[in-house]
Amino acid sequence: MTFRQFAFNNVLRNKRLYIAYFLSSMFTVMVVFTFAIFAFHPAFSEGTINQNVLLGMSVAGGIIYVFSFFFVLYSMSSFLQSRKKEFGLLIMLGASNKQIRLMVFLENILIGFFATVGGILTGLVFAKAILLVAENVLIISETLDFYIPTLAIVVTFVSFIFLFFCISIFVSFILRTNKLVDLIKGDKKSKGEPKASIILSVLAALLLIGGYGTAISVEGVYVVYAMIPVVIVVTLGTYLLFTQLSVFLIRLLKNNTSIFWRKTNMLLFSDLSFRLKDNARTFFMVAIISTVAFSAIGSLYGFQSIINGTKDPYSITYSPFLNDSKAIIEEDTNKINAILQEENIDAEMESLELNYYEIAEENALIISASDYNRFASLIVDKELHPEENEAVVVEQSGEAGGIVEDGPKASEWLMEANVQLEDGQELQPKRIVASSVLPTTSDGYYVVNDKDFERLGPPERKDHSVAWKLEEGQKDQIIEAGRKINNLEGDLQYKTFIVDYTIYEINKAYGPILFIGLFIGIVFFVSAGSFLYFRLFTDLDEEKRKFQAIAKIGLTQSELEKVVNQQVAILFFSPIIVALVHGAIALTALSRLFNYNLTVESSLVLGSFAFIQLLYFVIVRYIYVKQVKTVLR
Amino acid sequence: MLTLTNVSKIYEGKVAYRALTDISLDIETGEFVAIMGPSGSGKTTLLNIISTNDAPTTGQVEIEGKAPHQLKKNALAKFRRTELGFIFQDFNLLHTLTVEENIVLPLTLDGTRVKEMKEKAHQIAESLGIAAIMKKRTYEISGGQAQRVAIARAMIHQPKLLLADEPTGNLDSKASKDVMAMLEAINKQENTSLLMVTHDPQAASYSDRVVFIRDGKLHSEIHRGESRQAFFQKIIDMLSLMGGDGNDFSSVRV
Ligand SMILES: Nc1ncnc2c1ncn2[C@@H]1O[C@H](COP(=O)(O)OP(=O)(O)OP(=O)(O)O)[C@@H](O)[C@H]1O
Ligand SMILES: [Mg+2]
Repeated sequence: MTFRQFAFNNVLRNKRLYIAYFLSSMFTVMVVFTFAIFAFHPAFSEGTINQNVLLGMSVAGGIIYVFSFFFVLYSMSSFLQSRKKEFGLLIMLGASNKQIRLMVFLENILIGFFATVGGILTGLVFAKAILLVAENVLIISETLDFYIPTLAIVVTFVSFIFLFFCISIFVSFILRTNKLVDLIKGDKKSKGEPKASIILSVLAALLLIGGYGTAISVEGVYVVYAMIPVVIVVTLGTYLLFTQLSVFLIRLLKNNTSIFWRKTNMLLFSDLSFRLKDNARTFFMVAIISTVAFSAIGSLYGFQSIINGTKDPYSITYSPFLNDSKAIIEEDTNKINAILQEENIDAEMESLELNYYEIAEENALIISASDYNRFASLIVDKELHPEENEAVVVEQSGEAGGIVEDGPKASEWLMEANVQLEDGQELQPKRIVASSVLPTTSDGYYVVNDKDFERLGPPERKDHSVAWKLEEGQKDQIIEAGRKINNLEGDLQYKTFIVDYTIYEINKAYGPILFIGLFIGIVFFVSAGSFLYFRLFTDLDEEKRKFQAIAKIGLTQSELEKVVNQQVAILFFSPIIVALVHGAIALTALSRLFNYNLTVESSLVLGSFAFIQLLYFVIVRYIYVKQVKTVLR
Repeated sequence: MLTLTNVSKIYEGKVAYRALTDISLDIETGEFVAIMGPSGSGKTTLLNIISTNDAPTTGQVEIEGKAPHQLKKNALAKFRRTELGFIFQDFNLLHTLTVEENIVLPLTLDGTRVKEMKEKAHQIAESLGIAAIMKKRTYEISGGQAQRVAIARAMIHQPKLLLADEPTGNLDSKASKDVMAMLEAINKQENTSLLMVTHDPQAASYSDRVVFIRDGKLHSEIHRGESRQAFFQKIIDMLSLMGGDGNDFSSVRV
């Protein structure tokens, strides 16, 4: 038997050991391949779809590929970890380092090859499903038909064979450093506890509190500036949390014999501390990856509801350019009305002259009460009736979903200033009202009694605004009207703002981003799951041996189940809980950036992830307990 | 205290193998019995059946009037860790635990008070001479030390029946004498019944009675008289009578 044959048989005969590694590699290939099927779809390359989408997809493809590299590398190294003893024995029996490296190399190539082929085949099965999903998430007119994805197959195959080749070389290099004794005693000796220092533990707490504090206290655009520092601080804090605080807690527990020596606690915690280094690493990775998944999907979903939740009291607003004459305004409104007519849209229109006056060296908008009330009655809002000699400051209430502007509110300076009538009389504003009655871009303005309005004198600047209010339930028509207006010659389209049509357009452009984001989020989340699976099953044989040893002394079924349950639960939930908190904080920050309440969306997203994780826990626990129980008799 | 009636064991497999045939054996409370026989004669199999780690194909096992093989799984587990103590051929220590933790493990499972556990562990460790290594991990101790740790763990809960599979298998003659002296002391002081499998005539000579098995059948037994030296000689004679060449046994002890 040549050594090559030996390596080949080693894989085939040790199926069980290799299967976890194989499956996760295959999963990775499948993910990338499905993505490639989607990305290389003829509908995209024929150019009917936005260039940005293509760019976004190549970036996403890159991220997924790089991620799969690390994922496969990690799976590989934990797989090799569980075989240390085997290598030790081989070396002791006289195999040279070179031979072992060759063996690992060949094994990897073999596994890699079959994983690639298997991943592509399973990917083909899911191809139709993914195209259907894509079709529905993306708002595109074409249907994404099933096609024979030759290009996707070739690209996936080549890139993964390349990836596995690199990893095989890489892995056979890292292998050589170990000493024989370490290899043979490998599974008995703890890889050690990371050093726990009080300073670092406190630092972990401080970093997390600081990061969280900043994330939820900043508002508006500051959220954007704070984002990167907060991400770095929290990531560091999370790392220290798992490598320091967990060590610290376990130490505390182990030193407290009255807890540590109680019933099955000793079995549970000795194991946790024995694998502390591996566990801490896994916890950290899973927490971060899941946070990315939660935040990505949460913010995409949040964005979408922010966009769709944007409320404008008017369906259409028209604001002419500064130097547009009366005639042009007339012509424009006629055009709009004509299109509305064509589409059979019922709409009420109001138009208004906006007069700006110089007040406290700034231009301030002043509106007469009757003008204001005309619009108020159009959208059925509260009317304003200022007394004579009274000025009411109106704060334009920000539409939900707009980025909160920085700086003092408009009403503040309006309150401090006062309105001067032509005869020199001053109107001191006394109250502030928040409203979005007027279709204007001003942040705030005065409303005065009609009589006072006439005594204001000539305005500094004049502007014009026209607004339409539609009956409910004409969404399709208004989108069609919007398309017509946008297709008109001239610059009417730049002066009109049609909420529903704009949302429709944004959604259309946003679809691919949403899809890609969802895809990446799910990939990350699933791979976080398989990290956990690996962590658990790498040590399965050792665990079995341990429980067998204890079973010989006498361990009841319920005791065994209890220990295993707790063990799996700690592994599955401690990183996810951290990730959920991270995600919740990130989404809170997002909602503060847009001043939009995202509680429902966040709870929905985070809740579903928590639920999936719970489900995953229940399944894995079932399999694991069943495996471990085989040692009981 | 322990009664075996017509115990047989057949290992099912591609080829069914009859490892034990109609073994009947009685052990009194406080008795110290050694089992000897050539390699592959079924000693470990017998011990596994008595320790309830394996079930007999036919025949009955009774310990203290109870039939452990009839017990439900959970009750059996409790029975094992209260009534029985084991010293395994391969020690069977948990490497995630320290020596001390390994020793108290059976007690922690039963929810004994920590103070009591500490005291007992300390006391036993003193008497076995392993007090100095209590905080060490299992990969940091020698085979002989591990053997003593295994003994300490087997007796910490004062079992009624102590089962030992080649407790001196890994030890030099000085260490094995120590271990045997300890086992004898436990047997005398605590009145613990002791059943030990061994290849070592020296070790066997500490017992009250040696039972020989061969090809899965009881071959013969001899009782200890007044002097251990004479007993030892009788054992050697019996072995050479039984096994043809005595190499089987001498090869184990270097
Ligand atoms: N699980 C098993 N399945 C099948 N046959 C077994 C099994 N365990 C032991 N045997 C066979 O039963 C016979 C008795 O084995 P056992 O382990 O009891 O021998 P032993 O007397 O302890 O030997 P040694 O002195 O070498 O430890 C042997 O022939 C062995 O091959
Ligand atoms: Mg044996």
